[in-house]
Amino acid sequence: MIEASPASVETHEKLNASHLDVFYGSFQAIKDASLKMQAKTVTALIGPSGCGKSTFLRALNRMHDLTPGARVEGSVTLDGHDIYAANADPVVIRHRIGMVFQRPNPFPKTIYENVCYGPRIHGERSRAKLDSIVERSLRQSALWDEVKDRLNRSALDLSGGQQQRMCIARVLAVEPEVILMDEPASALDPIATSKIEDLIGELKKDYSVVIVTHSMQQAARISEVTAFFHLGEIVEVGTTTNIFTRPREKRTEDYITGRFG
Amino acid sequence: MASAAPRAAVRGFASDPSVRVRRFADGLATVILWIMAASIVLMLAAFITYLFYLGFHSLSWQFLTGAPSEAAGGGIGPEIYNSFYILVLTLVFTVPISLAAGIYLQEYARPGLFRSVVQFSAESLATVPSIVMGLFGLLIFVFYFHWGFTALGGALTLTLLNLPALMRVTQEALASVPDSLREASMGLGATKWQTILRTVLPSAIGRLTTGIVLIAGRIFGETAALIFTAGLSVSANNPYELNPFRSAETLAIHLWYTHSESIIPDVDRVGNGSALVLLIMVLAFNIGARVVGGALTKRFTGR
Repeated sequence: MIEASPASVETHEKLNASHLDVFYGSFQAIKDASLKMQAKTVTALIGPSGCGKSTFLRALNRMHDLTPGARVEGSVTLDGHDIYAANADPVVIRHRIGMVFQRPNPFPKTIYENVCYGPRIHGERSRAKLDSIVERSLRQSALWDEVKDRLNRSALDLSGGQQQRMCIARVLAVEPEVILMDEPASALDPIATSKIEDLIGELKKDYSVVIVTHSMQQAARISEVTAFFHLGEIVEVGTTTNIFTRPREKRTEDYITGRFG
Repeated sequence: MASAAPRAAVRGFASDPSVRVRRFADGLATVILWIMAASIVLMLAAFITYLFYLGFHSLSWQFLTGAPSEAAGGGIGPEIYNSFYILVLTLVFTVPISLAAGIYLQEYARPGLFRSVVQFSAESLATVPSIVMGLFGLLIFVFYFHWGFTALGGALTLTLLNLPALMRVTQEALASVPDSLREASMGLGATKWQTILRTVLPSAIGRLTTGIVLIAGRIFGETAALIFTAGLSVSANNPYELNPFRSAETLAIHLWYTHSESIIPDVDRVGNGSALVLLIMVLAFNIGARVVGGALTKRFTGR
């Protein structure tokens, strides 16, 4: 197990998973996984279906707390503080580590209400502030020009790609430090996908992004670091260039050359 | 050659006997199902028309607002008032309790002994016949608490009767809200309670409203549970009083009472009129609640 510290990016270690095990009941979905995720970097998690990459991702902001029967062992630190510490509040953690899901999941509310949902639950009441948060977040997610005239329309009327960008805006509105993305473009068409990828390229200027993807091309296009998962283990971690051109492990090579997956 | 091609194509797709049989069965099924569905509408229409035909002559301002009487010419004003009074009072008890219980069971309770016990109790309660519930109310509220026949006793009995159904409705309404919305909310740092309050309940409001309306319809038409608890007479001193500790005959009970117990001479006039008014009120309630439900959904979802 070799950990990456690519020289091309800032080496501030934002999120650090070490010796992570995740169980569903008696089934162990993740085995002793360790991964360091740098600030202002896109880390891609790749691997065949069922390899545990989404399970690993959900362990990074304690989403498994919501799943009955799921159990996490090991540690995940954000800026050195363990998010699984006894006094760590998952509500605070999820505020700082946001998540974008596989399928766009807009609330059945207006676009405006969707985006300011987070700020509102964290106590922001000023209409002027909310207005500016909504505009800033939608501009960041490159959706503002498309929706600025219909902020009070239902978010369900947006196209799938627009919904997903709105969901990203919704996460940006709470100003997280890390954004976790679980195959955010898998339900979208190629044009919407490329918009999401452009957006991720913008986001990494300010945020750490960890993205699960089943598309190796996508990982190659957008990430600096790639971790390859297989059967619940992290087989190999390295700069994306190295993983795709000079993999050290046989299993990685077999996967990226399409011999299984 | 050019002109022969289309004819060949037509011959090529002509149906053979086995396809014709299947197509006939398909057509037949469509017709039968349509007739079944249409007959429901027809039955309702016939029923309403007949009630209108019978009861229309009874309707008058005097009938709708006047006090009931054992002599000819009685009205149903206090009964209409009591029907609404008991409906509101029952909903005041039923809605919060069943909402809370439903939310707990669906959103908080983990599978286990306690949840099974609550679920089993609710299902058992739901199977109790209303007449048995009425006798229970008689023993508890009328005799044991020495209340006599009261609107409150009636409303509490109806609460027991309708609690399990509305709890079930709440559970199903909440279960219909996709988990992806809960995850979205929790993922933004919302607490469970914030998630329920701001996402789950607003998304379920349409189904909840529908459920409450259906329960309200049942409360409106309920008789057996009220005969022994709310009584067969309207309040003696002031039939429109707000005090819950007085007897409160509802319209549905009045309908039953005039046809079984009383000896009033114009029983058909009062009966038909009461039935028509009861029907109109239930229909109005249904339509009104749909409008309110739609407006609430629009208000919460922006659609």
